[in-house]
Amino acid sequence: MNDKVYAFRCKTCGRVSYPKHAVCPKCRGETFEPVEISGEGAVLTHTDVYALAIDYETRYLRLAIVELDGGMRVTGQLLDEHPKIGKRVRTTIGVVRETAGKPIYGLQFVPM
Amino acid sequence: MRPVYIVGAGMTRFGRSEWPLVDLASAASLAALHHANLGKVPVDAVVVANMGAGRVNRQTALGSALVDRLSLWPAAAEAVENGPASGASAVKVGVQAIASGMADVVLVTGVEMMRAVDGLEATDFVASLSHPEAEYIYGVTLPSLAGLFTRLYMARYGVERRHLALVAIKNHDNAMKNPYAHIHQTVTMEGILTAPEAIVNNPPVAEPLCMFDCCPVSDGAAALVLASDSVADKLGAPRVLVAGIGQATDTHAVQEREDPTDLKAVRLASAAAFARAGVKPADVDVVELHDAFTILEIAESEAAGFFKPGQAHKAVERGETQLTGKLPINPSGGLKAKGHPVGATGVAQLVELTWQLRGEATGRQVAKAKTAYACNFGGFGNNVVATVLRKEER
Repeated sequence: MNDKVYAFRCKTCGRVSYPKHAVCPKCRGETFEPVEISGEGAVLTHTDVYALAIDYETRYLRLAIVELDGGMRVTGQLLDEHPKIGKRVRTTIGVVRETAGKPIYGLQFVPM
Repeated sequence: MRPVYIVGAGMTRFGRSEWPLVDLASAASLAALHHANLGKVPVDAVVVANMGAGRVNRQTALGSALVDRLSLWPAAAEAVENGPASGASAVKVGVQAIASGMADVVLVTGVEMMRAVDGLEATDFVASLSHPEAEYIYGVTLPSLAGLFTRLYMARYGVERRHLALVAIKNHDNAMKNPYAHIHQTVTMEGILTAPEAIVNNPPVAEPLCMFDCCPVSDGAAALVLASDSVADKLGAPRVLVAGIGQATDTHAVQEREDPTDLKAVRLASAAAFARAGVKPADVDVVELHDAFTILEIAESEAAGFFKPGQAHKAVERGETQLTGKLPINPSGGLKAKGHPVGATGVAQLVELTWQLRGEATGRQVAKAKTAYACNFGGFGNNVVATVLRKEER
């Protein structure tokens, strides 16, 4: 079970990127160290999507892009009854998909 | 570089096809070849645009298959896959072949048969273009990226759902005049937004986007015949010049963009296409945009330079983008109502614009159209091809 999600800190310039790039978008460095993504932030935008991909038996999914404190943004599932742009949330890790019976872990956001 | 002309254009009606994939591609190709009236002039190369036949139809190597069906051996052939921008990318490959002197005549055919599978599988197939770790695993589909984008765009620029509905109403009206369109149905503001039953007629797909904000899932094919100056001259056809092509990429994951409402790749690709063509957005008479979602017509028209950021929805409200307006956008009905067989779309946009420039868009002809622009939007804006066409007087 891989229950963590990682960003990547460039060993040359220190910039943290997510998702992974083999070359740093800022300084073109090629060595990185993983940094666990967790913390607090604010909802940048959200949607309830009814046009789902395979693997989901639910009627809709609530997705969001969250801007974490520090500026990095992540996409994930929003577990909030009353979503709103700008609302404070924190990250957690949960099962975001099940493919062929196998759980896939990823980022979820819960209200503070 | 040698100049390249479009000398023939044709397409199938978009919708649900009863024909197999290659028959569909073949029908559009023959329509374009007949339109070009090549006579004994040989086709040097065939470029097929397609996104998902390997997965959806379990067929690959479509370039070879189409050459064979059309008995065009020993023409060079390949397929180009660039997500929903496959169409304009394939045209670019054809244009490069002629511009470089490697070919004199190229057939470019875009084809997609998405209705061979159910809606869930079709949505998942398109979603496979999203970032696998940062987007797809969360259940991200193209409608969800559009929903996230729309909410942010609305908050920033004061766009309301009624503006989106106006785009849908216009494009459905235009499609009524296009015999090749998938959807022949007019819609009204009451029916999709303001009446109490609107929520039933127009259910949410990815809030704030509803069904009538989203393109249908379509089968279809579209084709162009490209030719060098000397061949175009010999054919005596109207001279539709591929005046400029621009292409740009952006981050794979939408969230990583500095400003997720800025369609940077549209901006850069359009600027490059206009620069190569030597024209400005203000010179353009007719436009085809990639309105897979109504918000994209508004946002792309700004990023391409036709309106300032935050102004396009006001132009829509004033009727400026209607068929009889100052800048007609999507006279074909757009992806919204003409349909969106992904690999065919970028070619079909240029088929419509070729007809417009030749004065052959019966029932929806934009008067005196001389300069045309198309935006083919791949990924969720991570790979965009913009094309400027211009009619040259003989």
